[in-house]
Amino acid sequence: MAQHQVNYGQDAGLPVALTTIDKIVNWGRSNSLWVLTYGLACCGIEMMASGASRYDFDRFGTIFRASPRQAEVMVIAGTLTKKHAEFIRRLYDQMAEPKWVISMGSCANTGGMFNTYATVQGADRVVPVDIYLPGCAPRPETLQYAVMMLQKKIRREPANRNRNLKQKRFV
Amino acid sequence: MRPYRPKDNVQKKAYYNDRFYVTPQIPKDDPASDEVYSKDIEKLQSKFSISESYIQRGELVIYIDPDSNVEVLEFLKDELDYSFLMEMSAVDFLAQREGFEIFYELLSLSKRKRIRVKTFIKENQAIESVQHLFRSANFAEREMFDMFGIQVNNHPYLKRILMPDDWEGYPLRKTYPLQGDEFAQWYEVDKIFGKEARDIVGPEIRDSAHIDRYDTERFARLGHEVPRGTDISKDEPDTDNHEFQEEGGVFLIKDLNKPQKVLSEKERRER
Amino acid sequence: MQQTNRLRPFFENLTFDRDDNHMVINFGPQHPSAHGQLRLILELDGEEVVKANPDIGYLHRGMEKMAENMIYNEFLPTTDRMDYIASSSNNYGFALAVEKLLGIEDKVPRRAKVIRTMLLELNRIISHQFWLATHALDVGAMSVFLYAFREREWGLDLIEDYCGARLTHSAIRIGGVPLDLPEGWTDNLAKYLDKVERAVKEDYEALLDENRIWKMRLENVGIIDKEMARSWAVSGIMLRGSGFEWDLRKEMPYELYEELDFDIPISDKMDSYGRYKLYMEEIRQSVRILRQLIPMYHESEPQLMANVPQYISPTKEEQMTQNYSLMQHFVLVTQGMRPPVGEVYVATESPKGELGFYINSQGEPYPYRLKIRAPSFFHTGILQDLLVGCQLADVVTIIGSTNIVFGEVDR
Repeated sequence: MAQHQVNYGQDAGLPVALTTIDKIVNWGRSNSLWVLTYGLACCGIEMMASGASRYDFDRFGTIFRASPRQAEVMVIAGTLTKKHAEFIRRLYDQMAEPKWVISMGSCANTGGMFNTYATVQGADRVVPVDIYLPGCAPRPETLQYAVMMLQKKIRREPANRNRNLKQKRFV
Repeated sequence: MRPYRPKDNVQKKAYYNDRFYVTPQIPKDDPASDEVYSKDIEKLQSKFSISESYIQRGELVIYIDPDSNVEVLEFLKDELDYSFLMEMSAVDFLAQREGFEIFYELLSLSKRKRIRVKTFIKENQAIESVQHLFRSANFAEREMFDMFGIQVNNHPYLKRILMPDDWEGYPLRKTYPLQGDEFAQWYEVDKIFGKEARDIVGPEIRDSAHIDRYDTERFARLGHEVPRGTDISKDEPDTDNHEFQEEGGVFLIKDLNKPQKVLSEKERRER
Repeated sequence: MQQTNRLRPFFENLTFDRDDNHMVINFGPQHPSAHGQLRLILELDGEEVVKANPDIGYLHRGMEKMAENMIYNEFLPTTDRMDYIASSSNNYGFALAVEKLLGIEDKVPRRAKVIRTMLLELNRIISHQFWLATHALDVGAMSVFLYAFREREWGLDLIEDYCGARLTHSAIRIGGVPLDLPEGWTDNLAKYLDKVERAVKEDYEALLDENRIWKMRLENVGIIDKEMARSWAVSGIMLRGSGFEWDLRKEMPYELYEELDFDIPISDKMDSYGRYKLYMEEIRQSVRILRQLIPMYHESEPQLMANVPQYISPTKEEQMTQNYSLMQHFVLVTQGMRPPVGEVYVATESPKGELGFYINSQGEPYPYRLKIRAPSFFHTGILQDLLVGCQLADVVTIIGSTNIVFGEVDR
């Protein structure tokens, strides 16, 4: 094993950085948000666009994954219908903790313009939502902003989220 | 969206109807006026009973007997070269005539013409499937069954197509409410969490103008965020931080936290 | 730390140990190459598909029911959300159907017609590029995805300049268009067309045409023979890929297509590769059409909406100066136009195929019944015949090749 050539007593202790576990864990988490592609409708196209050439999402450490097991953020992009609601809950349950949900677009927030028999009136009836993103359809910039807000939210909360779960209600 | 209300209340007839408004009709032309259609209708009439036929906006419409739909469509497909069934569905006339009007929209590539075959069935009457002639009817008939509850005989797989299998009711009937009956409104909650969760999840908010200023479960008011689930209905806590991605605010965007007031001339000079 | 719910593990996905050694697998409804929310239940014998059962309806939002409760103008933005890759084509299909119902399709001013045709063709280019991007991504060509999205964004910029929206345009109204083109738009369009033409030749085709993997994945995969195409009433490129020479723009022309000079590419290969070639050729033809439209725009008079006071709101200037026009506008907005009693079926050639609107009017301001004939609906249905006998790996290619969009399938 190589010997350390650094004398920690000199240079004000550099390169040692002191921080809390919470901060370092959240720093890592917030900068590598892997997103479960959940393109349901029109917003899904904008979600694809934000991953593509012009809006390049990889800069944020945000990579789209197709499997819930590898993802920690679910972007519900599009209209959630009653027929589909069961599957979104199933996939949400399959994601590993810690996990966050961004509800993208009016349809996922509240049902939007589809105030009909077939549409779930807000994805928060089925899964807990962290960030609501308005617009029909929101532009890719808006989604990027939402991810940045989510990063900020993650940095604020304790690394062990279980402490917070008591506050949470049923869904 | 406006809810559909059938305007059959006799008391309010004068209110609903404009006394001087005469509803115009799209003119119905004689099929003989078009040379392609006139030949087709002649051949059809010699073989089948056609109760009515006319040309409306350049398209031939014929009314046939519901029992003869397979024969007529087969004749149209094989003899008259209307070989594409572009669309078929039903129109709900339960309130007016206690039945459904079914239409088949056929296209002939060689003649560049369309023909609409229409038939009328009673509420509980079934119609014969035409999916052995046109496979496209396979999906279209399933959709018709799903949306209107019309039984189709000899269909290989007559199940719901757009709605879930355990759905109740036929959504496109005029009697079905636009925003769903009770079953529809609680469908996802019942299925995922069970009926006992209805109280916890709460009813759907269908009013698009609904604002609940004390709701801290779903929404946070910009500039007045409180922890989730806090009860603020009594004395609303005044909170400080307005969220910006950048610390210290964004260029050109107003910071709501700063106390805003109009400065007097003296104050401005002092600054 | 999961909350309790009633959903039990799902054993429909895999069924082993059946008598005939077949395996049933579930594909979707949330699958990255399902192009939305397609669910397929496939029965496999080894790698070969024995039976396929497409399950749709996961995006059924009740649009036809909504239409029955809305006045005609209110419904127009809803049509955006059907085929959301090419929104203006849906707007146009609906607007044309209502115009036919009212009998005012000849009264649409020429400039509006030019702008509408421009938007339709621009949407066709964007839609085809999007198709290529996702299809190539599914088959495994990631770089094509990035290139095609780059050019698609340029097209979206043009549309955004015109109507302010990227995806859901609502840029066409019943009786015309709401806005004139902004200044310098046609110059930008001309530049964009050059770029697209170059991109098709130097990027997409150079990357894919002779690419061995692309050819192996696409050639002789998803063969739709003539009888199957006829029986399933497929339309658009799927139909032309099977050797039928049929394009509604040529055969039953609407808008300005009669005056324009363009070719209808057809292919008798009947497979996915033939259809890919058709898509590329159609982009070229759209570029050709748009080039012809630019001078036509500059020659036209600046009127944008049809002058039919009975059905269409008067211009803003008339509303502000004439009392009767204001009243007319008020009635048309609050109560809606009352079309004559009757029914129409109007079909247009959307990028996906024949998009038809059947409107049954009983003289009320609402349609009594609106049936949307979506091309993708039948292109999904054909999967149950098309997938049988092919390999599991080809399923994704075939789904991509059909170019289905679920907003349109489920409505």
